[in-house]
Amino acid sequence: MTLDLDTCLEHLYEKKLLAECVLKEICEKAKELLLRESNVMHIQAPVTVVGDIHGQYYDLIEIFRIGGYCPDTNYLFLGDYVDRGLYSIETIALLTCLKLRYPDRVQLIRGNHESRAITQTYGFYAECMRKYGSAQVWHYFTDMFDFLTLSVVIDNSIFCVHGGLSPTIHVLDQIKIIDRFREIPHEGAMADLVWSDPDPDKDDFAISARGAGYTFGKLVVDKFLHQNQMSHILRAHQLCNAGYLVLFEDKLSTVWSAPNYCYRCGNKASILEVGGNGERFFNVFDAAPENDEKNSQVAVPMDHQIDYFL
Amino acid sequence: MTHREGVTTVSHDWTLIKASSLIDDQVIIEIDGNTPVEQACHHLVKNNISSAPVFNMSTSPHGNTVKKYCGMFDAGDVIAYILLVLKSSSVNDTGSLEIQEIVQRAMNGKQVPVSLASDLSQRNPFYSIMHETTLLSAVEIFACGTHRVCVLKPDGTIKGILSQSTVVKYLYEHRRQFPEIDDLLNRTVRQLSLGESAVISVNADSPVLEALSQMSEHGVSSVAVLGHMGVILGNISMTDVKYVLKSVHHRLLWETCIQFVSLIRTQQGIEDGQDRLPVFDVRLETTLGFAIAKLLATRAHRVWVTDERDRPIGVLSLTDIMVAVAGQVGVTPTGTRRSSVSRPAFAI
Repeated sequence: MTLDLDTCLEHLYEKKLLAECVLKEICEKAKELLLRESNVMHIQAPVTVVGDIHGQYYDLIEIFRIGGYCPDTNYLFLGDYVDRGLYSIETIALLTCLKLRYPDRVQLIRGNHESRAITQTYGFYAECMRKYGSAQVWHYFTDMFDFLTLSVVIDNSIFCVHGGLSPTIHVLDQIKIIDRFREIPHEGAMADLVWSDPDPDKDDFAISARGAGYTFGKLVVDKFLHQNQMSHILRAHQLCNAGYLVLFEDKLSTVWSAPNYCYRCGNKASILEVGGNGERFFNVFDAAPENDEKNSQVAVPMDHQIDYFL
Repeated sequence: MTHREGVTTVSHDWTLIKASSLIDDQVIIEIDGNTPVEQACHHLVKNNISSAPVFNMSTSPHGNTVKKYCGMFDAGDVIAYILLVLKSSSVNDTGSLEIQEIVQRAMNGKQVPVSLASDLSQRNPFYSIMHETTLLSAVEIFACGTHRVCVLKPDGTIKGILSQSTVVKYLYEHRRQFPEIDDLLNRTVRQLSLGESAVISVNADSPVLEALSQMSEHGVSSVAVLGHMGVILGNISMTDVKYVLKSVHHRLLWETCIQFVSLIRTQQGIEDGQDRLPVFDVRLETTLGFAIAKLLATRAHRVWVTDERDRPIGVLSLTDIMVAVAGQVGVTPTGTRRSSVSRPAFAI
């Protein structure tokens, strides 16, 4: 079948579920596209960087409202598209279609939640079963996740990754040789890049309480930036009450894009706008008003017929 | 302190260190033996502790009332109690007198005092060590499966509770000081013949009650939750029973294991502001040192040992580490508390 991306996008912007066979096709095409991407993608500013979204569809639309819609604005998404929120499927379907439609304007990095093990515990699997009656859609997406890149560099200056640094990665070339086309392992460089966290109270690496990855401190950050001649590390992965957090004398920032996380944390969210001259601006925002209107109706499992769009 | 060339005041023999020196004075939450079991359970949950010493007041020969410790009440006992009460409709004459008494009382609607229930699991009797007890003796006790001991002050009152984790943390942090510990930590799980052991597991779709039954029947403190192709998706541990207690009418007992694991992890992730791996695991090629570092960082009591396809082939617990440490100085502990042979099984 020929995929009509514009029609798919039209439906996805109306938060409609696509048919299973359409999702299959979208994921297949996405894999072909992503296969050609390096583990370290190089892009240029201006670009708007987005942190964790976690299935909060209305807040993704809010991001487009304040940051500009594709393709008018270039976007870099740092991962964690699914789990926890009520609309993981609608969220990842929209992002995947945008990537297919505007491949040079949208970059998608893999987060620790883009994994089979995690999605079986934190909600995406259950949502697929609930909305499609089988695990097939979950299989399509989790297979596609294996193809997502691990990192992006903006203007040879800002290193962007979902989690953080690894004790086994000193230079970017070491990331390039990782075989990323697999389920995220529990140990090793690939695991570290999606699981690690900065720790302002430490200097070096320490094993993470999360059970994968490490925490890393100032000396590690300084050394990595120096050895790779870059100026900043940009990542997501940790909830920030103010929507973002800057550490190590502006050498590292965390951007968090899921406001009122899980519809109860009351936190702000932000997107980071990187300008053509390297200026960085955190655009802070609150949860979209649709959340209050629409979400309470969804808490109950849907018994009625779901309309699929081809 | 005088220092002479070649003479150091730092000890290189961990076995002789006083176990009591590893802890500071602690405020211990204790439970009166007359407290009904349900209230004792809420005590643990409310104070966010995993166990508490149970005492009875008795009259000393001099005529004054004195505290006497009769047991430790912990999650294992809570589980054994829940299973017992749920099974009470089909009880017959098997079981010791105490268990029968508990069931009788529960069936007649009478409150069960925690002093009766405090060693239902028969896995954590009240163990106390003295001020001068050596670390080696403490390790020997821990190597038998006991998770915590009470450290007594010279006057008989409790100074604090010493746990397996505190001892492991101490040895790990001071490993450079103790060459034989350092050597042990550099060996792999496989080299130490650890890590391949019986794995008690439940299916992801079975009810939580089944997981608790398995724990009780096999005398383990954690069961693996397995999904498709035997892949480990998560685990349910004894301490997770606090979530059951917090749920209305204990309804969580009848959720599936995977739903239960999801619930706990989801809640934990929001509280911490960061999510964790649902399973903490290592491979046979992992060094003991790395496995310990993981245990300490995650504050878990065990890690699963998995093969290259994420299927569990064994478990590495703090008790196993204690056995390995004791073995390093030629001590083989006897009387492990894992077997369920001598106890009635509470399987449903």
